[in-house]
Amino acid sequence: MTRIGSFTRIGALMKKELAVLFGSPLAYLVLTLVVLVAGLIFFDHLRAYNQILFLFQSSTMGGFETDTIPDHVNLRDTVFFPVMENLGLTLIAVIPMITMRVFAEERSRGTDELLVTTRLSPNEIVLGKFAVTYFFVVIAMLASFVYPAMAILQGGVGLQHLLAVFTGLTLLALALASIGLVCSAWTSSQLIAVVASWAIGYVLWDWSWITPFLREAESVARFLDGISMHPRYSTFAEGIVNLANLAYFVGVSIVAYALARSALDWKRIAG
Amino acid sequence: MHRARLSRCLSKACRARNERATADVTEGGRGPEVDQREQERTDGAQKLTSEGQAEASRAPETGVRVEARGLSRHFGSHVALEGLDLQIEKGQAFGLLGANGAGKTTFIRLVTGVLLPSSGELTVDGHSPATEPAEVRQRLGYVAETSRIYPDLRVRSFLRFAGGARDLVGSGLEAAVERVIERFHLEEVAGRWIGQLSKGFQQRVSLAQAFLHDPPLLIVDEPTSGLDPLQQKEVRDVLRALRGNHTLILCTHDLSEARELTERAAILHKGRLVTEGPTQEVLGGNDPLALFRGEAAA
Repeated sequence: MTRIGSFTRIGALMKKELAVLFGSPLAYLVLTLVVLVAGLIFFDHLRAYNQILFLFQSSTMGGFETDTIPDHVNLRDTVFFPVMENLGLTLIAVIPMITMRVFAEERSRGTDELLVTTRLSPNEIVLGKFAVTYFFVVIAMLASFVYPAMAILQGGVGLQHLLAVFTGLTLLALALASIGLVCSAWTSSQLIAVVASWAIGYVLWDWSWITPFLREAESVARFLDGISMHPRYSTFAEGIVNLANLAYFVGVSIVAYALARSALDWKRIAG
Repeated sequence: MHRARLSRCLSKACRARNERATADVTEGGRGPEVDQREQERTDGAQKLTSEGQAEASRAPETGVRVEARGLSRHFGSHVALEGLDLQIEKGQAFGLLGANGAGKTTFIRLVTGVLLPSSGELTVDGHSPATEPAEVRQRLGYVAETSRIYPDLRVRSFLRFAGGARDLVGSGLEAAVERVIERFHLEEVAGRWIGQLSKGFQQRVSLAQAFLHDPPLLIVDEPTSGLDPLQQKEVRDVLRALRGNHTLILCTHDLSEARELTERAAILHKGRLVTEGPTQEVLGGNDPLALFRGEAAA
């Protein structure tokens, strides 16, 4: 027997989490769903783009006045940006399906007591579970990113832009996963966890629509704009990696980690 | 035959713990001396059969001391435990009895550090589960009320995880896993999903995970609940064989189980201690069930 450190204990927990995650059909269903939905969105926009092109070409052949395709009708603006937009919204719906069980299932089965009576500290438990969920989310993002990547490469957008977009998409997914994990940590019901994650995700998605109505309460408007995910995510989609936006998504994950950690402490206090 | 196997395994486990304690002080990693010690341990264990029990009873008292003073736990206005004073000595098999809702599980959760006390003091080997949970958990093996284990893991994977989470690693982990598989007769189901096992096997897996690090304090909550008579006998045989080598806290409402397995017992009623003493005395009265109803011993 050898004394080992925190990393090895976390490693043992991560192995267990991976075995539970990939031992159930849910992980494969979610991966399939992400790839399918990303593909559907992509091909739907591509079809629309082709129709527009066809219409313009038909018009030109038919002798109409429009003999050029407008600048905004290109792969980048007509396919890529809308795909990314819809993909973000899709993630809000899909990611909680994976995060809902992570803590809530342990509570409902009573295995959380087994976990906390081992030598794993609450920090190690939360870290291990976050790490495995993040790992899964990155795999899902890599799988779903095939179509946007095709659109970018075919649309003449460079590798740097591609990396920026992937960074944005992954950060958004990780932030959503963190929110989902917090919801899971504070309840023993997976249903409550998933619905709460959807609600928070959609509430945080975009408040920019309300700012024109809040001219007399600028600070509120600024705050709502500041907590919105969509404007920050869009910046990445445009190929701009902004430090403030990076900090926002990392901040969401850190706050979520602290809240999930406090759920474990709260259980010791409240029972 | 069955008893002999158990005795052999117990002797092995006792020696392992004593040697491990020495090894922890003298060296940080695994060296040739450790392998040699393990070899000696294996050789020694093979020689021991029925004499293992006798040796265990001669061995100096092991286990840990658990002490509660004025221990209370409230959930809002509900009083789960009130002013509990209790001493459980090293190596003692202690029965915690009472009807449902008496506060047995709350006490266990306080000892394991799953819950924090509302007031009072609780120490395990001088360490508080509330403020030094890591120290307490190092000494603790916990078998929860129902088999609270992962149905979607295979037995061996689960035991590897449980060992890893208790600081076992590499060949030490593998050896510990094989040891408990043999000890609890899990060989035939080691590769199967836990969810597919019978309740009896699940309970054995649950016991096995608690023994991986051979803890001096074992807390078992309703170990035979829901098991058939044969399975109950098996589990009781395992627990009986532990007496003297571990501090055992057995939480049960089965009086015959308490008589059979424990030396001392306490009866709780609505969070308060009704009586405490040698098990035969506590349960020897005309109507021990009256104690379950909270009627104090005469």
